[in-house]
Amino acid sequence: MSAPPIGRVVATELKPSTPHQFYFWTATESAVGIGAIVRVDHPGRTVYGVVTDGMAYADLASPLHAVIGAEGDPAAAAHEPTSRTEVRLFLAAVLRQIPEEPLQPVPLGAVHLASDADVELALRMDAYTRSERPTGIPVGVYALGGHESPVLLDADFLLGPEAAHLNITGVSGLATKTSAVEFLLSSIFQTFPSHRGSIAAVCFNVKGPDLCFLDQPGEISERDHALYDKLGLAAEPLTSARYFAPFKADGVNLNTLRTHEALQHNTEPLVWGLREVLDYAEVVMNRDDIDAKADAFIDFLAERVVGREFTDELLRGKPFRVESFADLEEFFRAIFDFMEAMGRGGEVWRTHHIATIRKVRNRLGNISTRAKGLVIDDGAPNDLPWGRFDDRTVYVVDVAGVDPLAQDLVFARCVSKLREHLERRDLGVDHVVVFVDELNKYAPADGPDTYVRKMLLDLAERGRYLGLVLFSAQQFRSQVQRRIVGNAGTSVFGRMDMDELATPAYATLSPAIKIKLATLPKGELMLRHPHFTQPIFARFPRPAMLSGREGVERFPPGAELPFADAVARQLKQLDRRVATDAVRALVEGRQELDVRRALALTRRTRPDDVLAFFTAKLGRRVGGEVVTARSTIRPVPSGVDPYQ
Amino acid sequence: MISDLTSLRRALAAAGITPASVVPAASADRREEAEIHLAQLVEGDRVEALPIGDPVSWPGPVAFLDGVQHSEVVGYAGSSPIVVASAAAAVRERTDRVLATRVMRRRDLAIGRRAALDAAGPALDALERVELSDADPPHPIRELAQAGAALDDARGALEVAVGVAYRGGSSAWLVVDGSLAESPVWARDPRMVGVAKSHSSLPFDGADLESYLRLPVGYRSPIFAPASRRLAPVRAWAVRLWPWEGKDLLHGLIRVEVAPASGTPETADRISRWLMAERAPISAPDPRWDRMLYGIRSVEEFLRATA
Repeated sequence: MSAPPIGRVVATELKPSTPHQFYFWTATESAVGIGAIVRVDHPGRTVYGVVTDGMAYADLASPLHAVIGAEGDPAAAAHEPTSRTEVRLFLAAVLRQIPEEPLQPVPLGAVHLASDADVELALRMDAYTRSERPTGIPVGVYALGGHESPVLLDADFLLGPEAAHLNITGVSGLATKTSAVEFLLSSIFQTFPSHRGSIAAVCFNVKGPDLCFLDQPGEISERDHALYDKLGLAAEPLTSARYFAPFKADGVNLNTLRTHEALQHNTEPLVWGLREVLDYAEVVMNRDDIDAKADAFIDFLAERVVGREFTDELLRGKPFRVESFADLEEFFRAIFDFMEAMGRGGEVWRTHHIATIRKVRNRLGNISTRAKGLVIDDGAPNDLPWGRFDDRTVYVVDVAGVDPLAQDLVFARCVSKLREHLERRDLGVDHVVVFVDELNKYAPADGPDTYVRKMLLDLAERGRYLGLVLFSAQQFRSQVQRRIVGNAGTSVFGRMDMDELATPAYATLSPAIKIKLATLPKGELMLRHPHFTQPIFARFPRPAMLSGREGVERFPPGAELPFADAVARQLKQLDRRVATDAVRALVEGRQELDVRRALALTRRTRPDDVLAFFTAKLGRRVGGEVVTARSTIRPVPSGVDPYQ
Repeated sequence: MISDLTSLRRALAAAGITPASVVPAASADRREEAEIHLAQLVEGDRVEALPIGDPVSWPGPVAFLDGVQHSEVVGYAGSSPIVVASAAAAVRERTDRVLATRVMRRRDLAIGRRAALDAAGPALDALERVELSDADPPHPIRELAQAGAALDDARGALEVAVGVAYRGGSSAWLVVDGSLAESPVWARDPRMVGVAKSHSSLPFDGADLESYLRLPVGYRSPIFAPASRRLAPVRAWAVRLWPWEGKDLLHGLIRVEVAPASGTPETADRISRWLMAERAPISAPDPRWDRMLYGIRSVEEFLRATA
């Protein structure tokens, strides 16, 4: 027996039913609220709608009548012997009509609250959850009056190729944005259909410890467990995770809050050398810097000098072998020495003007200074495992503590590398989700057209063909480049700021929806998805992993270690047998540059005997030498000249 | 043309005359019956304003009874009109400030001379036939008036029927829109109150009438026994619900009727205090809001929406 109706469609000349919206009234007490999904039954036609506005009024023509009735005393109004007749009238936007054709105004039928099956039909989820090869990704539950129905997104429209990308907007401080992404990644990894291929995620951690503990289980409530059960998901963290973070300026301590001893097994340094950076020199140049001359000289360096032997008899007799920033600096020095020696007429070397050469040298040198720890002057790089990405694995790149220029460099290079490998189909996975928080910072609506913004735009507009999907988040959607958020097939809205909601971008939302958005509790969000013809409110469970704050409390960051101890810790990650005291003794008295180089080589080689390899690469210790005074010719006694 | 009525009213007030503006709607229903039927005072020996005290909410459940009617001329058979009409009546009971319908009845009528109704054939089969007298020669105007009277009777009968039906299941106070004298059953019921808004028929003349019509707000008239016009004897008194000064003599003036056994000063004061409390919520935007109880209006609205 079906539940009794909770309302009736009502249509007047001034408030008619149309094919896209209808009014219905309910009893004064009912479970209907803004965002509720309802079903209208009528012979031959079923209509699904979502409540977008509500109004109530009494049989009072003028507020003055209420004043007269209460004789001006507000307290007396509460004691009126009869409660005025009141109507609760709701406006609903049509989600779906069955049959779809002919599309007609909503009939004056009985209104029911939507059941699980109704929600599935209303949101057109049946098209991708009931097919032979389902592609549903649980994103939360539609909840109303104690009833909860799963809401699923279509993987083909979330991760490509039909549509792609997801954008989350919400005020800071409620952890809704981060939590939503964490939960959704977990859901994707658990439910992304194998017939659609493999998938991984690259997350850029740009704020404190936000994404530093995705692999650590967190506590969740019974209620959240029930939500996971309802969605058919396991409440577990992203156990397959690898973390990458640049070094601090000392080159041995990692610049991340994930430095607890227990978390070092999957935390690696992110270190790049000259070769890795040179292709992205444009990132660190401002608009004025980017000219054809500088471009030409950088291309010259990349193609003719870096990573190969370069001979120029005019500069010096032996060939240059530029592998590092230190080598590059030596190369520039030789050029400047040569041009200074030339004197007048020495402003040009190989068609490149000295001013251009100086500018490029300054900018490139600037990288190794401002991105110190990420970019090393000398030594071997350590990078993400390009070509060896694993299915259902998250790669977190922690750039929260580095200079904005270095952050830009990391974004640019990582996304470009992902794109290159996905184009060649040799990344190791078929799809990659790239998560970027604070999108308004990296792709602002206003301001200069930076390399990173262009790269993000390119990712948003063309990434889905490659399987490269952008998940982005920001506090103010209106402050983000419109084409980037506009290309997001799926949009998620958490609690919003009223000022933001007042911007034209939200003009299509009713005032009631805006009020609901402005007061959304933590864990609830509004979804736009290509299959949903109207925004839908959903609740998602707390991610089953530690939040940044919890993670820092449970795994406090290790203290910054002295140089030798930090080296020992890194070697221990490669071989637990390595003794700290032995490393201290080895490092004692050595040049830090030599130690860092040996450490980098050891890390890259991953030898069986780590300590022996490290010792060998350190080279022979140069012993100290005591210089004694040499005997010299005795001075001629004063006052005696033997030649006189 | 007098252009400044406000000044004129001020001048009249200065001369001792109470200013007035509009005649409230339906306060003079059925103008053709406007006359004086002298009543007999049963409280005191002259009409005077008696204070009723502070308003008091009606204790316990209370019900409201009213009826509506609607008619249309749908055709003429020869010169005789055929009128179709609907009459409906209902009782809505108030419990804990909320009104709910307890009894509702409706009649759909076809009214006309027998020959006219017969001429309509099966088109009126779904309606209840009410035949007008054909003793006189056909006269469309007279027949329309007769049809109106027949409809009034049908509505009145419906009101009595729903009142009886309600009383069969409840002993709560029942407030009727109009006179209790419509029915002997009502007129004997000790827990029924008639509230009449119309003052076409006035119970006094001379100085007593002046006192009757000029009652201040919060005062009642002495109890009187109206001249028996219809079926049953009742006891009645007038109550001023709203100040009339500046509006009209009849503004806020109601006539209250009860069974003769209930016609004591104590009962009159008590019921008057209850009625004063019923002023809120007011029945605006109904033009009769100054005399119409909200419960009665609720019945009317319900019947208009459903019948």
